[in-house]
Amino acid sequence: MSEVSMEFKPSVIASVGVELELQILNSRDFNLARDAADLIGLIEKNGHPGAVKPEITESMVELNTSIHTGHETLVKELQVLRDTVSKAADRLNLRIAGGGSHPFHDWSDRRIYPTERFKQLLDLYGYLAKQFTVFGQHVHLGCPNGDDAVYLAHMLARYVPHFIALSASSPFQQGQDTSYQSSRLNTVSAFPLAGQIPFVHSWSEFLDYFGKMRGYGIVESMKDFYWDIRPKPEYGTVEVRVFDTPLTVERAAALAVYAQTLARYLLAERPFAPSREVYALYNYNRFQACRYGLAGRIVDAYSKQHLNLREDFLETVARISLHAVGPGTGAALHKLAEDAGSGRSDAAWLRQAHRDRGSLNDVARMQSDLWMGRVPVAA
Amino acid sequence: MASFLPQLPWSTNPLLLFGLLLLAGFAGGELVRRLFKVPSILGYVLVGLLLGAGGLDVLNGRLIKEAWIFVDIALGLILFELGRRLDLTWLKRDPWLAATGALESALSFALVYGALVYFDVKPVFAAVAAAIGVATSPAVVMVVAQELRAEGQITERALNLVAINSVVAFVTATMLLAWIHHEYRAGWATIMLHPLYLLAGSFVLGFVASAVTVAAGWLLGKTEDGHFVAALALIVITVGAARMLELSVLIALLAFGVLSRTLDRHHVLMPFDMGRVGQMFVVVLFVVSGASFKPHDLVATGTLALAFILARFVGKSVGVLSLTYFSGIRRGSAGLLCLAMTPMSGLAVAMVHDASSLYPEFGVKLAAIVLSAALILELLGPVAVQFALTRAGEVAKEGQ
Repeated sequence: MSEVSMEFKPSVIASVGVELELQILNSRDFNLARDAADLIGLIEKNGHPGAVKPEITESMVELNTSIHTGHETLVKELQVLRDTVSKAADRLNLRIAGGGSHPFHDWSDRRIYPTERFKQLLDLYGYLAKQFTVFGQHVHLGCPNGDDAVYLAHMLARYVPHFIALSASSPFQQGQDTSYQSSRLNTVSAFPLAGQIPFVHSWSEFLDYFGKMRGYGIVESMKDFYWDIRPKPEYGTVEVRVFDTPLTVERAAALAVYAQTLARYLLAERPFAPSREVYALYNYNRFQACRYGLAGRIVDAYSKQHLNLREDFLETVARISLHAVGPGTGAALHKLAEDAGSGRSDAAWLRQAHRDRGSLNDVARMQSDLWMGRVPVAA
Repeated sequence: MASFLPQLPWSTNPLLLFGLLLLAGFAGGELVRRLFKVPSILGYVLVGLLLGAGGLDVLNGRLIKEAWIFVDIALGLILFELGRRLDLTWLKRDPWLAATGALESALSFALVYGALVYFDVKPVFAAVAAAIGVATSPAVVMVVAQELRAEGQITERALNLVAINSVVAFVTATMLLAWIHHEYRAGWATIMLHPLYLLAGSFVLGFVASAVTVAAGWLLGKTEDGHFVAALALIVITVGAARMLELSVLIALLAFGVLSRTLDRHHVLMPFDMGRVGQMFVVVLFVVSGASFKPHDLVATGTLALAFILARFVGKSVGVLSLTYFSGIRRGSAGLLCLAMTPMSGLAVAMVHDASSLYPEFGVKLAAIVLSAALILELLGPVAVQFALTRAGEVAKEGQ
């Protein structure tokens, strides 16, 4: 492997881009299908905005948006991408669904997407590679330089429970209710290079760390770190990776602009200095969010207080809303807060669907109807 | 000898027969699968050939008749599941797939008919034989796909095309009854009404069965086992009712399958997987269809059989190749779809069987033409399907 450039490419402060990993289902019993190659081939033939890419197994497809400054253009591009993918899926008799996990697929049925990198991952990680058929949303937040990226990564760590609880949409795994709101992150945690960025204070310190790890032969590029939040120097961004893929692109856009507004607030006001305490409490707080969603209780590293996650989120939205930029962003944050206040969430929607229908096949079907825009999204 | 002891010669019964055929077929299937890495179906057929008239001659006339009930159940299960695979909404979303199905059916009928007439086969025989040739064996495609746990565009499209050409074959063969009746100088009422009775009656039977199944599913709530038993019971009842009412088992069960999906607008029914129960009957189906072939027919009608196979293959291939480009399928895979369309087997045997029940003499002549071709394709078909699905990269095993 050639020397990877680790130079931090500057980008516009808190610009935002979204990656969505999506489920490809068959139309018969709504289990995961294996048609990623055909689907991507057909989409490429017809042309589209953004990018459509394969992921580790043949049951997944990833959508990437371009770079945005506000909500309105982001949600529009996501809707165009959604319609493009849905149309191609329709022709192949496939369905596309959001959600962090497929409710009932069996991981051993999965097949690795045939590229060199994915095959290496299977060799290295064994069954974990196939169990990694979970679906996340990654949000890229632009940073002017590497030092800001390191600062932002440390500060966002405090808010990871918000991201998890707001996006949680993986209550079911392998045919069972896990009792978690987001069970997906438990799968991610199994990887040896999962976790958090080390407690470094500058981009040059980070480069030292990275050089050391590469020297040991543990990693080749940033891609090999499966951290919850990681700097992405070639894009000039900090990438937040803890979101479950929401059930709709509209919610995906709203979550992205929440992270974006939070980043603008943190970089502009610098309310706190990075603290080791955040990382001491990190896994406990993360667990609370995965397990209970917004009903979880976290410990705030700065105030040393026990906080209710829902209240903490609502307070945060109120505090940062001044920093919302671009048309539609303020309204999207308002809607997110309203949903949080009324207890509306994707995980709750999925569990309700299961109670109503009594079958996980139906849950997967309804999940795909919702994502493909075949049923109106609840206002 | 004590009177409670069984008298010699012991009389067999269908259950004994079923068990023995199952065991023998299964053993043959395992043997060919392990030795030659070909689909087990091939083993079932070979065991049938070995036991049948062309071999040891133990599975013949009377025993085949006794075993036929299991063939009916097997075909019932397969056609029901095939019907559930036929996704009418897909055909609407990808009309080129529907067009492909129509074209390959029409071309294979026309070419087979033309070839047989060219070889001086009487037009009425040629037409019925061609109609039977339109159908690709759903049993072979489905069972091979299941054995390989294949999934993907080629597998799904192949099964939908098979469903389409089965419908075309059944309807065409039924309509042709009018011509057969005319040949045999039946009255006008019979000529007109018999095909109509078969088509409409079988369709209504399928409709009633699917309505009852959906209603049962609704009453039972979402229990996979419950729905499985309900569907299984209705399948067997429908087979029995079709026999009782002298309707077409094939049309009734296919209609049952298609309608149980189309009528179920609220997604009441759980996915149906005939699983191990189905597998049992499938083994017997293929053993019996193997036993129904008479290899000496093959010698007598060799050229005709080859002409039949060639014309059918060309018709299906031209149909598939000329339109799949417009479908959303990846380049280079249309050829594999053609290969997956080749099998012909138990269904052909059953259709010949149905035709013979009306006019035995007609059946004998038809059998000589169709069954030799079916025999060759029964042996080549499973291998062709296995090759196509493996080459398409759709079998479960990684890296194939």
